[in-house]
Amino acid sequence: MNQASVQSIWIQAFLSLLKSKLTLASLVIVVSYSLLALLAHAGIIASNWNLDIGASYEPPSAIHWFGTDIFGRSVVTKIIKSTEVAMYVGFIVSIIAISIGVLLGAIAGYFGGIVDELIVWFYSTLAAIPNIMLLISLTFILGKGILAVYVALGMTNWIELCRLIRGEVIRHKDKEYIQAATALGASHWRKLVKHILPNIMHIVIIQFSAIFQIAIKSEVILSYLGLGVQNSPSWGIMINDARVELMRGVWWQLVFASIAMFLIVLAFNNLSDSLRDALDPKLRGK
Amino acid sequence: MSFMSLYSYIIRRLSYIIPILVGVCLLIFFIFNIVAGDPTIILLGKHANPRQMAELRHELGLDRHWFIQYLDILKSAFTFDFGRSWATKQHIAPMLKLGTWVSLTLVIPAFVVTSILAISTALLAAFFRGRLIDKGLVVLTVIMMSISILVYILFGQWIFAYKLGWFEIAGYEYGFPDFIPYIILPAMILVLVNLGSDVRFYRTVFLDEMYQDYVRTARAKGLSERAVLFKHVLKNAMAPIITNLVIQIPAWLLGTLLVESFFGIPGLGGITLNAINNSDFPVIKAITILSAVSYVIFSVITDVLYTLVDPRIKLS
Amino acid sequence: MKNLIKIGVLVVIAGSLWFYIKSKQAPHIAQEKVLLTVSNAQIQGLDPIRVRDNYTVNEATKVYEGLLAYHYLKRPFELIPNLAASMPTVSSDQLVYTFTLCEGVKFHDNPCFPDGKGRELTAHDFVYAFKRLADPKLQSLNFWLVDSKIKGLNEWRQRYIDAANVDYTEDIPGLQAIDRYTLRFTLTKPYPQFLYALTMVPCYAVAREAVQYYGAEFMNHPVGTGPFMVAAFNPLDTKIVYHKNPTFRDKYFPSEAAQEYKHMLVDAGKKLPFVDKIVTHILSEEQPRWLKFKKGQVDIIDISRDNIALEVIQDNKLIPALQKKGAQLFSALEIGTNFIVFNNAHPLFKDNLKLRQAMSMAFNGPKYNKLFYQGAAMLAQSILPPGLAGYRADYVNPYRTYNLGKAKQYLAEAGYPQGKGLPVLTLEVVTNSTARQKGEFFQKCMQAIGIKIKLVENIFPELVKKIQTEATMLHAITWTVEYPDAENFFQLLYGPKQPGGVGANYDESASMPCMKKQWVCQIHLLGRSYMSDSTKWQQKVHPSFIYFTNPLQPFTKDGSKMLLLQTVLVA
Repeated sequence: MNQASVQSIWIQAFLSLLKSKLTLASLVIVVSYSLLALLAHAGIIASNWNLDIGASYEPPSAIHWFGTDIFGRSVVTKIIKSTEVAMYVGFIVSIIAISIGVLLGAIAGYFGGIVDELIVWFYSTLAAIPNIMLLISLTFILGKGILAVYVALGMTNWIELCRLIRGEVIRHKDKEYIQAATALGASHWRKLVKHILPNIMHIVIIQFSAIFQIAIKSEVILSYLGLGVQNSPSWGIMINDARVELMRGVWWQLVFASIAMFLIVLAFNNLSDSLRDALDPKLRGK
Repeated sequence: MSFMSLYSYIIRRLSYIIPILVGVCLLIFFIFNIVAGDPTIILLGKHANPRQMAELRHELGLDRHWFIQYLDILKSAFTFDFGRSWATKQHIAPMLKLGTWVSLTLVIPAFVVTSILAISTALLAAFFRGRLIDKGLVVLTVIMMSISILVYILFGQWIFAYKLGWFEIAGYEYGFPDFIPYIILPAMILVLVNLGSDVRFYRTVFLDEMYQDYVRTARAKGLSERAVLFKHVLKNAMAPIITNLVIQIPAWLLGTLLVESFFGIPGLGGITLNAINNSDFPVIKAITILSAVSYVIFSVITDVLYTLVDPRIKLS
Repeated sequence: MKNLIKIGVLVVIAGSLWFYIKSKQAPHIAQEKVLLTVSNAQIQGLDPIRVRDNYTVNEATKVYEGLLAYHYLKRPFELIPNLAASMPTVSSDQLVYTFTLCEGVKFHDNPCFPDGKGRELTAHDFVYAFKRLADPKLQSLNFWLVDSKIKGLNEWRQRYIDAANVDYTEDIPGLQAIDRYTLRFTLTKPYPQFLYALTMVPCYAVAREAVQYYGAEFMNHPVGTGPFMVAAFNPLDTKIVYHKNPTFRDKYFPSEAAQEYKHMLVDAGKKLPFVDKIVTHILSEEQPRWLKFKKGQVDIIDISRDNIALEVIQDNKLIPALQKKGAQLFSALEIGTNFIVFNNAHPLFKDNLKLRQAMSMAFNGPKYNKLFYQGAAMLAQSILPPGLAGYRADYVNPYRTYNLGKAKQYLAEAGYPQGKGLPVLTLEVVTNSTARQKGEFFQKCMQAIGIKIKLVENIFPELVKKIQTEATMLHAITWTVEYPDAENFFQLLYGPKQPGGVGANYDESASMPCMKKQWVCQIHLLGRSYMSDSTKWQQKVHPSFIYFTNPLQPFTKDGSKMLLLQTVLVA
């Protein structure tokens, strides 16, 4: 399959995506969250999240839409700031996971032999260890903080992608168009990058959205263990604070953080479903 | 296929466990014996002085050559003798055994209910594919899996156990049927959280099958949609479904961490959490090794089952 | 149609199971009096030599007893004999302590004894207990209590460090059972806190038969002399059940009390224990604990010091809703201090007194108290809390009062006007919501004068490790008293192993105030030198330790009765 037909499939897929209202809504959500994240990162909005603007634990009202937290900080602003944190976590973790997964999967599938055996052994070993243990262990090495979160989550989410890529590369390796390229004297690198990879990009896209939402959900668990984001609000911290706040009747941080998180996770889940329906060659044409 | 080829396949796959275990032990050794640093400071706490630290290190065997320490870990992976917990000085193996039984009383009902519900829901969705029911069901299950488990626990305990009084707030009693009132709510939460991903997967599997040629042939022959679904599609979809089911089991056991903590259930999840909070390395190592072993064994079982159920796949 | 029937059958089965279970749950009129309590953390086994944390102490003291205890109702704390018949005679050189034990004290009835009947406690049991504490093979982490303090004990321990078996029959000169009821300790040097050490759980009496019978499982089968017994216990359990000890010796509720506890004397002279059974639930999460309490499934619960501002108190009283249910509030000032420590070994703090003082004055104590404790706590002026001799109620630490203007001025004098030039400081806290929020509060206070703080969360063992290795800049920690001697607090700051400890200036003789007469002056001396010119610590508050009681059972009209009970056992 050459470049041109690959591209037309992409365009087709994108167009079919737009047809479904649900998918459209999901797309809108993802875009708005990304926009909020960028604006917050640039400091244009939510830079004053640490400011006490009201009394402690004020319930939602006309002035404070989502209420205030223990210090009187605006929950709305905190949620927007947390959106930035979440989107960054999701994005960077996905990039890390995809980089490792594609690299190792392609190498394993393409070169086969001892290289393949080693890589398979490596990820089988990692897969056998429960995620929680890996996360704890990684923090021994990496310490605390946002970088540790990125790396730890990235390291625990690349295996599935790696397996899929490896499988696909193996399938494509012996196809005719690759043999043709070899006959023409193409190097390994060229064959991999220019010919095989474009045909497996759909897997990467689908996995991207899958890993994104897993990363966001994992952050909540990391916060529970004390390994999460520090020095910035995050949905995980707000939800975990509810463990003691709910007993005091303070429900607004929990509810609004959950809704905010749930919307983006839902959007990504939906998108990845639709993308798979649109791009997966097996399901295409239904 | 012949019994011999199946047998040799199993042996071959099982033998693959060994390099994995070696790798797992290597990783564990690297992390806990090298990177994590000297645990005696943590154990002795505020009364640590160099003399006592040295004595403790000697008692715990931490001053032996690194290779011997690694071999110890490797040996424990095969003998299941993990020594004693640093926090409670209990023997770890019986501790984990008891914890596993307790977790199973929670996990098995949740797992069974999830599987049955997931398959039924996916079937329904596949039957009515494209229509409102299909879309609705998928959206519903995805919504359920988009909410963090912590939220379910916090609200669930507060509303259903406390405010409405339908279930126990927390606690556990050993023995059947005494434990039942205590596991209902936590099991339900586990179901809600895990249903979504299964439904989506099974639905895809069913749909994949339904677009196969033989299904079109069956329909052409005049079989009702219902019969097609139950007689053909379900049977052929069993392979990937069973695969998916079996491989989940080890993950379920450890996924109960939060639920057990909030509902006071003395299972594996609770043990893990306590071990993490106490820096109880032997227990953490033991749980990691056991999870790895069970994961690998279940992978093998899955592969074997897959080949047994689906005659189209060859053993390679 | 067939499916409908199948479903119908399932529903009927499920329904009957449901009713069966519900019926089993129906509360039966209790013939026995049961106390329901909660513990906030897993119990690390009930072997006295291993007991270290507060929650395990609470449980262990129901079952085990020691030579001495504290008078339940008198303040300041007073030592009284417990298993000892009277206070010990001490030799003039302060090295020899001779105890006479109570006669007729029995260990719990237990299968480890012949005929299952508990035998009488003798002085040999204490000798045995102390040997276990020092046994190198048992690796008791509480050995520091007697380390280098009892004559011959350390030498005995050293001899068996590498041996296969430890010989308990060996005689230790400092640990002698003169006769059946006479116990004599000989110390290596004067140790004024020795009597306090004897009140702590690791020094409690254990039965040799139990240790030998249960071997490695001894921690799960406690056999003591205390008012309650546990049949069997598994550290993994989320529930422990205690039964009244039928052979408990005659012990009565005290008849004297300090002024603030005089109202409890209604029970004076009554025989202990008051209840027949205690059930302790172990729940590490706040929510299930409180939900159970509100539902009446737990009788007594403490507002943990970390979450003291729950909406159940208003102006130091219970909210009406709970009062209506019959709950009662009991509050006592906790002998503890919540504080932030500057690591003086760190170059930033080492010689920069003004910096530390500036930060201390920028801390808004009153607001902190309001936010986290509903105003119920007391702002600390020094590290010493009230209730300990040496505490001076009139002392006001000049660097402790919230004064933003002065703080900014001192900061400039320290060389960092408006915080310029000062790198980001790290504050280490424990991993939990409240500790983090308190850390954030500190951040905000420092922000007001231009200092940037970065928070780092740690699980407790990690924090301890960082403190021990002096790897912190600032850390937040709470210290509750172990024994009623000011030294217990001062040793946190002054000593060879404290972060930035005045290592070079560490004076052995000054660290352990020797004579009772003298030590009061010593503390003041020590204290004064710290209080006036150095703010090595930044004290925050002495939190109140508040108990709730929820007397739903008829026998308790005065809920404080139950609290009383628990504290008597806790000594």
